[in-house]
Amino acid sequence: MISERTLRNLRRELRRSLLAKIGIAVVVFILLMAVFAPFISPYSPGKQNLDEARLPPLGFSTAETKEVTKMENGSVVIEGGEVVTEERTVYTNATAAHPLGTDGNGRDILSRVIYGARTSILVGIFGTSLAALIGVLVGLTAGYYRGRVDDVLMRSADIMLAFPSLVLAIALVGVWGQAQAPIPDPFVVTGLAPAFRSALGFTTGMPDTVVLPGTVIVVVALVNWVWFARVARGEALSIREEEYVKAARALGASDGWTVLRHVLPNAITPILVLATIQVAAIILLESALSFLGFSGADVSWGFDIALGRQYQSTAWWISTIPGLAIVITVVGLNLVGDWLRDALDPGIEGEGGV
Amino acid sequence: MSLSRFLVKRSLQGLFVIWGVITVVFGLRFISPGDPANVLLPPDVDPEVRAEVIAELGLNEPLYVQYWDFISGIPLGDLGFSLVTRTPVAARVLAKLPATLELAIAATIVAIVIAIPLGVISATRRHQPADYGATVFSLVGISTPNFWLGVMLIIVLAVQFDLFPTSQRPIGVDGIVLLFVSGSLGEAVDGLTTWLWHITLPAITLGTYFTALITRLTRSGMLDQLGQTYVRASRAKGLPETLVRYKHALRNTLIPVITVIGLQLGTLIGGAVITEAVFAWPGLGTLIINSINARDWPVLQGSLIVVAVGFVLVNILVDALYAYVNPQVAYD
Amino acid sequence: MADPILKIRDLSTSFFTEEGKVNAVDSVTFDVEDGEIFGIVGESGSGKSVTALSVIDLIDSPGRVTGGEVWYRNADLAEEFRGSRPEAVDGDFVDVRRLPKGVRRSLRGPSFSMIFQDAMSSFNPSITVGEQIAEAVEVQRRARANPRRTRSRTQGYGLGSAILDTFLPNRDYVSNESMDRAVELLDQVGIPDPEDRAEEYPHQFSGGMLQRAMIAQALAGEPDILVADEPTTALDVTIQAQILNLLRDLQEQEGMSILMITHNLGVIARMCDRVGVMYAGEIVERGPLGDIFENPVHPYTQGLLGSVPDIDDPSDRLEPITGNVPSLLESEMPDACYFADRCPKAMTDCMTRIPEYDLDGRHSVRCVLAEREYDEADALEQEVMADD
Repeated sequence: MISERTLRNLRRELRRSLLAKIGIAVVVFILLMAVFAPFISPYSPGKQNLDEARLPPLGFSTAETKEVTKMENGSVVIEGGEVVTEERTVYTNATAAHPLGTDGNGRDILSRVIYGARTSILVGIFGTSLAALIGVLVGLTAGYYRGRVDDVLMRSADIMLAFPSLVLAIALVGVWGQAQAPIPDPFVVTGLAPAFRSALGFTTGMPDTVVLPGTVIVVVALVNWVWFARVARGEALSIREEEYVKAARALGASDGWTVLRHVLPNAITPILVLATIQVAAIILLESALSFLGFSGADVSWGFDIALGRQYQSTAWWISTIPGLAIVITVVGLNLVGDWLRDALDPGIEGEGGV
Repeated sequence: MSLSRFLVKRSLQGLFVIWGVITVVFGLRFISPGDPANVLLPPDVDPEVRAEVIAELGLNEPLYVQYWDFISGIPLGDLGFSLVTRTPVAARVLAKLPATLELAIAATIVAIVIAIPLGVISATRRHQPADYGATVFSLVGISTPNFWLGVMLIIVLAVQFDLFPTSQRPIGVDGIVLLFVSGSLGEAVDGLTTWLWHITLPAITLGTYFTALITRLTRSGMLDQLGQTYVRASRAKGLPETLVRYKHALRNTLIPVITVIGLQLGTLIGGAVITEAVFAWPGLGTLIINSINARDWPVLQGSLIVVAVGFVLVNILVDALYAYVNPQVAYD
Repeated sequence: MADPILKIRDLSTSFFTEEGKVNAVDSVTFDVEDGEIFGIVGESGSGKSVTALSVIDLIDSPGRVTGGEVWYRNADLAEEFRGSRPEAVDGDFVDVRRLPKGVRRSLRGPSFSMIFQDAMSSFNPSITVGEQIAEAVEVQRRARANPRRTRSRTQGYGLGSAILDTFLPNRDYVSNESMDRAVELLDQVGIPDPEDRAEEYPHQFSGGMLQRAMIAQALAGEPDILVADEPTTALDVTIQAQILNLLRDLQEQEGMSILMITHNLGVIARMCDRVGVMYAGEIVERGPLGDIFENPVHPYTQGLLGSVPDIDDPSDRLEPITGNVPSLLESEMPDACYFADRCPKAMTDCMTRIPEYDLDGRHSVRCVLAEREYDEADALEQEVMADD
């Protein structure tokens, strides 16, 4: 599995590289944010307040010309039986209650960014795991048996590769629909988070479920397994020629046992590096699907960018902030990927962005 | 193996993949929960009418007949009929194709023109400000979702500064060529500037990821090549540094970069789909999204086939180019 | 005796690494006579290859030549720079390090050339061998046609030509004449069917043939001095002998001098007129081949010679030198003879830096034994090395 030497390389590379440290810090931060969302989120991500719609983030204010009812001495002016309106410049200032501002429905953007991390991380981790499972299985089989099995499996991988991943993902989600599974949020259901919040005087009413975007996870895995298959196959092809593998087979070990016991553990390093890059790619893919409205998620960074588009001329932050969250997360993951690759040097390629 | 034999083998493989693509696309219909008749008909329709429509669509035929109908039409350019508009799918896809190709090609050109010099500068001035700048750019570039970049460009350059239009494609290259051929030179030039003005933001949006990716690849490839002994040997025999860097090191750097660009064309088309959505660019991407929303499966299937087959063909070309520039390639 | 062609004085090269400054070459001094083969021998890590690269001015970052002079005998250059750069001229000699960068570069090819250990990695894999040799010819052809341009920054080969050459593989930098000359050169180094072989790529050549091709490439500029860095190390024994004979023949035909870098004393014995023995970045002993082999003074040289088994004498036992070459990291280098901790004859006198002692005008050595006999009473207490 992961040898002492590997760990030593990792530590040495980490000491040497500032970027690797930044990457790990970012990834850990985002992970903590996603896991502990019900503790730290200022509001429920769905809580609307139309009176506080489109508040700018701290440090900004907006000036907007609005038609308002004309008031004189505290009463509405009526001329000719109609309410008189006038144009007035309305200044909106940021408030500390919503440090990153609010969206078009008055929902707190910080809360939505925090909860949005959950969607991204869930899809990223489950999607990558499923893709790795399929891909490694196919790749090891192809590489271990070679010959006709290899041809058939890798040609089908070529067929998958012929479809641009985003296009195929859109098509699959579009055709399949958007099944989601709400699973209870353990922190809320156990009362842990609500107790913590009321003790500190935070708002309560956090959502008690986490929405698992089932179809999206399956689709991103179906679209991205090919990269794992290629890497696993390459590793299997070279490892099966090693003396200890030959020895194991000569001693009559079954194929399945040989693969699990000897081939897979030695292929794990490049697969791990690929997985890190793939989490980033899958997070980007999920955000694209959400942006196009195909994922069905209603708390997702990509979805919020799309929601902000109708306010792009008046409230730039609604689209900007969730996008920054994506960029920061993906930069962090790519930095971790670079760190792993520099330290372990498996020399692999893998499809990246959207 | 000779180049021609390699190409024949590669084409046969490509043909197999194309068949696979068509089969997968055909299969898409069967994972869809509803049946196509429902798209056309209100749910409470008279069962007889319903049966008629199903017969007309050929949906009551045995599966192999349907499959054969589907696959046999494709070489002749028959991709079926839209369920919604009842027009041939091929015609609709073809009408949208130029807009997407323009966008993809413009983005590729932007990427190559910026990325290769940037990567070279970064590698030859290692640990200098230019290198750090290029490294940060490429890191952020490959990590930025292009739809968000598009929205940001619109907010800053189109809305705030009003430098570029927010969307639309009033004229395409085909239109400009038509104007040019018909002799209205002035209008053609106008058309060209309008086109450039409109395609700038979408091309940057789509091209940034590739620019960043190619910069990264060029930089690391160049660093690798410049460390090779043959570079030292070239200097030892008195070659000019420019010749060493460009004719020798850069060419060997670009050989693997070509393959990666080929593999990433799929991502480029995927990116085009979403860029089109951001900029209301009337191309294949918009067609695909609209067809999904309208549950117009034949249009979706046709578009997928065109995209995937195009990808396979371009990759055969890239492989041929690769074999041509790299004499060492053992052709598989 | 005629003036030497090359006089190296106190040449130092350091690498500036993350761990600190590494003095790979430390104040190296030697001459290369006209038409001789001067050998530098040492273990790997002794700085002999870096010396070679420093002489030919090919040290890459993070390394840098930090001091010293490379005097090269060239009356034309001396005349040219006598007025403008008097500090770089001494009689018929010019100090290459003090010449303008463009001039220095233009010396590669017609004055200095180099062959490397691994021929396969010394050729560009994607260009035919003939074209690569022809490039070297072409550079000199263009240089003769327009010397000024050759010394400019781009050497008359600008970005435009570079870009065209990058994207159009069939655009020729080399002329047909240069290609013909390349074929001649291949013939000269004993490659059969040179015209056909010129069209082939490096991976189609065998190791020995490619080594010959690399020699042909180095000869393209008709250099005065050929630097040969371990030219036979990567080859089979039989082919080694062929390549060495070839080098010897060419050296006699062309009347050039060779700076031969090797770890192999057999190569030295067979080829060289004079030898320098390198240890830890210094030349610890140098002199005529016979003196060094028969009368070595420095214990390191003695140890090195002792570690070559004499096949004629079955009783001769291999006596390897114990310990390892030091790291050369400046912060870790002792203020003493660098060999002291491995030296079987180390004395208390060795705990200071040792100067170079001239024995007879030809043979010099950097060791106190040049002046006094080994005295066991003075022996340095060696730390017992836990050798793992």
